[in-house]
Amino acid sequence: MTRVRALMALAAVAVGIGLWFALTAPPDALQGEYSRLLGIHPPSMWVAFIAFGVTALGSIMWLIKKTERWDRLASASVEVGVIFTAIGLFTGMVWGQAVWGTPWDWQDPRLMSTAVMFFVYLGYIALRNAIDDPKIRARRSAILGAVAVVQVPLVYFSVNLFRTLHQTQSLRPDGSTMPDEMLLAMLVNMGAFMILYAALMVARIEVARIETAATPARALAGEAVRPPRLDEIEDV
Amino acid sequence: MSETVVVAGTYLISYGLIVAYAVYLHIRRRRAER
Repeated sequence: MTRVRALMALAAVAVGIGLWFALTAPPDALQGEYSRLLGIHPPSMWVAFIAFGVTALGSIMWLIKKTERWDRLASASVEVGVIFTAIGLFTGMVWGQAVWGTPWDWQDPRLMSTAVMFFVYLGYIALRNAIDDPKIRARRSAILGAVAVVQVPLVYFSVNLFRTLHQTQSLRPDGSTMPDEMLLAMLVNMGAFMILYAALMVARIEVARIETAATPARALAGEAVRPPRLDEIEDV
Repeated sequence: MSETVVVAGTYLISYGLIVAYAVYLHIRRRRAER
């Protein structure tokens, strides 16, 4: 518990610092105050991508090692990733309304691929809740977790591969497309969100570990049935 | 609605979601520990 609390406190301080950077960065000449969403929209989507990458890692490792901790890592990371994707979608819609004049475009590859990714990982959570047997649950979700990660590069590169309302990446191999103050605010918030991700992951894994330890091994149907003790029956 | 209010509200709702999730984890943990 102490470790979780310490990490949560660290995350709160980091997010506070990030917020200060986001609110004190100069506003964009065209977008005005909306450019401050730079401190929350890209960081939350980046963390979501990392979270789903960690899920894929945990899933593949479970398929190799078959140990419970990899299953816990993968499933915890999906839950946290879904939260950050929801934030990314929501903040993106607010930003879209401000700069594109619409919060959503059903034909936009970046928006739609992100939404599909969100629902696939929601499906992962639903799949886990639908299966009682821990082994079967771990195997099926590991297969889904390992396969579903193909969406991450698809979402990330959708702005380069297709025509979309969304701008292309601001951070490129040849430098950044924004002023240093804005870039700094975004990077500080990315660091803060990474700490937040780590804190939520540790808390979620702890919950899963305690719940597993607290759950008594449930008897499956048929286990109580014993074969007839024929040798004890006297011939009539 | 002014830009500042929209941006502040967006931050508030987003952080609120994270705080709600952290509280949910805390409650779930307490329940499992009992």
